Amino acid sequence: MLYREEAPKYAKGAGQVVALQTQALRKVFTVKRKDAGLAGSFRSLLKPSWEEKVAVRSIDLTVQRGEMVAFLGPNGAGKSTTIKMLTGILHPSSGEAKVLGCTPWREREKLAFRIGAVFGQKSQLWYHLPPIDTFDLISRIYELDRADYHARRDDLIERFELGPYLHTPVRKLSLGERMRCEIAVSFLHRPQLLFLDEPTIGLDVVVKQRIRELIREVNRDEGTTVFLTSHDAGDMEELCSRAVVIHHGGILLDAPVDRLKREVLNRKIISLTLAAGYDASMLPPLPGTEVIAGEGRRLKLGVDLAVTDIEAVLGTVIGTYRLDDVTVEDPPMEEIIAHIYGTGG
Amino acid sequence: MSTEDNEQAGGLRSVSRTGRLRGTLAFLITCWKVNLASAMEYRASFFMMAGMMFINNFMWLFFWSLFFGKFQVVNGWEMGDVMMMWAVGAGGFGWANMLFGNFNRIAPIVAAGQLDVYLSQPKPVLLHVLASRMSLTAAGDFFFGLVVYAWVGNHSLAGLLQFLLGLLLSGLLFMGITILAGCLAFFIGNAEGLAQQVFNSFVALSTYPSDIFKGLARTLLFTLLPAGFISFLPIGLLRDFDPAFVWKAVAATLAFGALAVLAFRLGLKRYASGNAITLRG
Repeated sequence: MLYREEAPKYAKGAGQVVALQTQALRKVFTVKRKDAGLAGSFRSLLKPSWEEKVAVRSIDLTVQRGEMVAFLGPNGAGKSTTIKMLTGILHPSSGEAKVLGCTPWREREKLAFRIGAVFGQKSQLWYHLPPIDTFDLISRIYELDRADYHARRDDLIERFELGPYLHTPVRKLSLGERMRCEIAVSFLHRPQLLFLDEPTIGLDVVVKQRIRELIREVNRDEGTTVFLTSHDAGDMEELCSRAVVIHHGGILLDAPVDRLKREVLNRKIISLTLAAGYDASMLPPLPGTEVIAGEGRRLKLGVDLAVTDIEAVLGTVIGTYRLDDVTVEDPPMEEIIAHIYGTGG
Repeated sequence: MSTEDNEQAGGLRSVSRTGRLRGTLAFLITCWKVNLASAMEYRASFFMMAGMMFINNFMWLFFWSLFFGKFQVVNGWEMGDVMMMWAVGAGGFGWANMLFGNFNRIAPIVAAGQLDVYLSQPKPVLLHVLASRMSLTAAGDFFFGLVVYAWVGNHSLAGLLQFLLGLLLSGLLFMGITILAGCLAFFIGNAEGLAQQVFNSFVALSTYPSDIFKGLARTLLFTLLPAGFISFLPIGLLRDFDPAFVWKAVAATLAFGALAVLAFRLGLKRYASGNAITLRG
């Protein structure tokens, strides 16, 4: 790990209760190695060779009750594997973990009553049936008292604004509507700790925003601890107070989001679609701004927020060109990781 | 290492064994209701698939009737015995596949890493997986079994109970063997083809009178691939009740069921998940 806040800030004590703790958690998969092409397939058939792939090298982590922690990293960093070990889906190769007092892979069923899990790519909704039927099934899975279930379901339906599509088969819902249902269903049994694995993957900006608001609201009202994996830095910025960045299966950085924003996430990408072709000579010099790409009607600018702000850059651009479309994004996670490496933490 | 105590957490469930059983039963009933509702979303498909399987089974009985038209008795088996063999086999397979319709899909589910959602929920994983699908064609198999029993079966109370026991043993054996074969996916990766071969062989062997097999084939039929315990039910259980055979059939059913559960539990420790997009129902 290149950088980490001082441990006492997160250690048990001062009235805080630890929700989750891991020590040297490690997962190694054995995968078959095959050379390319048909000849490679024959060689592999006659003499298979195997290699070890370290998905999670060693994770030491402590999360307090009520915290909202972002677990970030590029694809293949080990985020999903870690979350699967913490929910009891995968057995680790070595190391220890306690989640709400349980060892997940040994006390899976007991723990599952008290945690929730949303996997962006693995739906728990019945595909051919409306969400209301899945609500009913989930209430039986978690053995909820009937009166309590109905009250809780109605509250979630109202809060997540599910009314209009509660009776529509899931296969006919948009991805955003489905994700809203997925997250609402995961709150049905009032989990003390919610694992969200890429909850905003594939969603548009407006739906992402709404889902983040809903998660924040339940965390605030019910004190639910949220452990969120994402490769979208926006999830972290808008939801979490603490960010843990992992790379190559190990923790690269563990810091408050405010500090991260100040020191690492100090860059935004502005993507513009111009009404006419891009002419570099028209654009006046903009301090802290670089032209990443400019071709045809497309213009992409990188903005250093330590030097200037989005408003100033956009004001100049709007005064110079006529625009058809504007998008402001965080830099991709790979760039953030490279930046953390570049600054030594 | 310590996190908050279970007991302090407020919400730890200290449910009695009876309470847990009641909860599991309520879950199973809701699961079956949801499966049925899901199947009925496509009414035409539902009735056509179930109906086609019903007719398909009768075609086999038609061929057997042609055979018995030439030879009245084969190794002590008559046409009525063969019909009851089909009733017990198809009926047992039918109820198992209706209520636990994922039992012959364990290998692809494991290989594609589709156990994640089941593992993240507080129910026994194998039971949850099995009950999460209902086969449409199986309704035709089950109904076929009942119709054949109504046609040629023994309608006394004892006869009915023996037939129901036959259905139970047959369905459980189908599930035990097929799950056991499917669990190979935990250990050798993509075992879908192999599991399907075992399943097909087992189904085929259960539809021929066990007495036509001799020597090693017969030994295999009552050991490694115990389809004999299904195909001999019309004789050993229904026609000439043989307590020794029935006890052996019950023991084999329990043994293969226990082996299947054990293999699945051991397999879960090796489960590697996956990144495939998964949808339910």
